[in-house]
Amino acid sequence: MSAPVAVRTAGLGKRYGSTWALRDCSLEVPAGSVTALVGPNGAGKTTLLHLLIGLGSPSEGAVEVLGLSPRRDAHDLLPRLGFVAQDHPLYRSLSIADTFRLIGRLNPGWDDRRALARIEHLGLDPGRKVGKLSGGQQAQVALTLALAKEPQLLVLDEPVASLDPLARREFLSAVLEAVAETQMTVVISSHIVSELERVCDHLITLADSRTQLVGPIADIVASHRLLTGPRSDGASVARVHNVIRESHTERQTTLLVRANGHVYDSCWEQHEVDLEEIVLAYMGYVPGALRAPAEEVVPA
Amino acid sequence: MTWVAWRLQRTELLITAAILALLAALLVPTGIHMANAYHDAGLSSCVGAFKGSACGQQIGDFQVRFEGLSHLTDLFTILPGLIGVLLAAPFIFDLEHGTYRLAWTQSVTRRRWLVGKLAVPIAAGILAAAALIGLMTWWHVPGVHLNGRLDTGIYDSEGTVAIGYTLFALGLALALGAVWRRAAASISVAFVAYFAMRIFVDTWLRDRLVSPLKISWRGEEPHVLSTAKIVSENVFGPAHVKVAGGGPISGHAQLGIPGGPGGGPLVETVYHPASHFWPLQLTETGLFLGLAVLLIGFAAWWTHERTV
Repeated sequence: MSAPVAVRTAGLGKRYGSTWALRDCSLEVPAGSVTALVGPNGAGKTTLLHLLIGLGSPSEGAVEVLGLSPRRDAHDLLPRLGFVAQDHPLYRSLSIADTFRLIGRLNPGWDDRRALARIEHLGLDPGRKVGKLSGGQQAQVALTLALAKEPQLLVLDEPVASLDPLARREFLSAVLEAVAETQMTVVISSHIVSELERVCDHLITLADSRTQLVGPIADIVASHRLLTGPRSDGASVARVHNVIRESHTERQTTLLVRANGHVYDSCWEQHEVDLEEIVLAYMGYVPGALRAPAEEVVPA
Repeated sequence: MTWVAWRLQRTELLITAAILALLAALLVPTGIHMANAYHDAGLSSCVGAFKGSACGQQIGDFQVRFEGLSHLTDLFTILPGLIGVLLAAPFIFDLEHGTYRLAWTQSVTRRRWLVGKLAVPIAAGILAAAALIGLMTWWHVPGVHLNGRLDTGIYDSEGTVAIGYTLFALGLALALGAVWRRAAASISVAFVAYFAMRIFVDTWLRDRLVSPLKISWRGEEPHVLSTAKIVSENVFGPAHVKVAGGGPISGHAQLGIPGGPGGGPLVETVYHPASHFWPLQLTETGLFLGLAVLLIGFAAWWTHERTV
């Protein structure tokens, strides 16, 4: 029996004119997970997120969010979604309190007191104009707007890309705090995985508009190894394990592998490898150049 | 949603109100002054009656005295366009700044957002145009008695056409802005295009919207022409030789053309009588409203279907 799913896509694709921004994307986001959607710029992350929340409509394939179709069932689905768009757009000429009043009018389930309490907790004056706030503060206001809907699915598109390191940390802490209080599912996109590792428990990587590495972060980290040994073509390893990346020096060969069980070959020295390096290896991974294709990591 | 649209449009609505208030501040005192002058000179007894030389003199004096002011009010013909493009600004700002993504991911559907977001500027445009028409119509009353209301400067701000102009300008800016997503650029281009369209209609199309009438006369100008709009006029000398003609000729009495029998040259005038005011107004209003509906509909469709 499979766990409940918050988001399911099958063969999802989106075309703008003659270029595909997203192609053949099939994935599931488990309900209650905090999923990182990682990929280089232009990989189709924003397109995918827009399809999830109904900002865009798919050119092909299917998408189901909380059991509903984002475009067809917008009326029922929208109140259950929280979304912070890239660069967290806000009405700059409005004060924080006016922004709440405005957005509150657009949401039947709006909790104004909760929103104001959050802003006061952050030490912000509700009377301040949004345009006068720092980038980090604006991101926090945008997050507050999304949270005050009490959504079942929170979607954050590159929420920290434009923030300084301190603001990033504060923003992600705020997300963690909110997640701990509720049962909501969260999808956060980023082109940097390291900053999401602390917050997320699931990973989806997207490159060249296709998904590559999908699964629980703990399983992904546990199944990948870095092998170093005397120079060779690594063919003996590739027969058993999936070689994601290989590099050679004059006397040494280094392989990043997704191990199928243990690596018994004693001529290879094994190292743990962190998530960022794994993701980077997949990003640079050219399909067809290596024998082993990258497949989904199947949760143990 | 309507409240939200109103709140986001507040600045533009206040600017519109301020424009109308400034206009009223100029027109109300001068209008009262002009109406008093008209009354004091006893011009009302001149209108419609045979114009004696005393009357002609008084009418001439009155027109010279207020000529500057009426030329000034001719400039107000840009106001419907200005108000129209201005009211389109908040819609385009939402697209330019990406805040539509914030709005569309709240609990209202895109369709409802569009309805509210378009209803507010349309309603405001109609109200502002109506206020403008009311003010200008009142102000023009003495002039209309003397010259009719088919002259471009008066015609443009009376009746219903100004509502059509305002919504047409609004629609132009909305349609451009929906595709271009640049508020300042869309509004500027829309205003220029609006102006070009107005010049085309004022100088060429309007005379052809309703079939004009034709009258031949000699000597004293027929009374019907005093409040008419002259489309073209031909003056014939002896043996039916055309000596002048083409567009409207001003002051034919002073042409000094040797008259045939019956005193003065033969003049053939093509004109719109005062009774053509409403047919012309309604046809032109329909034209601009039709264009406005197409443009606003296009902006709504593009935003609904093509914007992500």
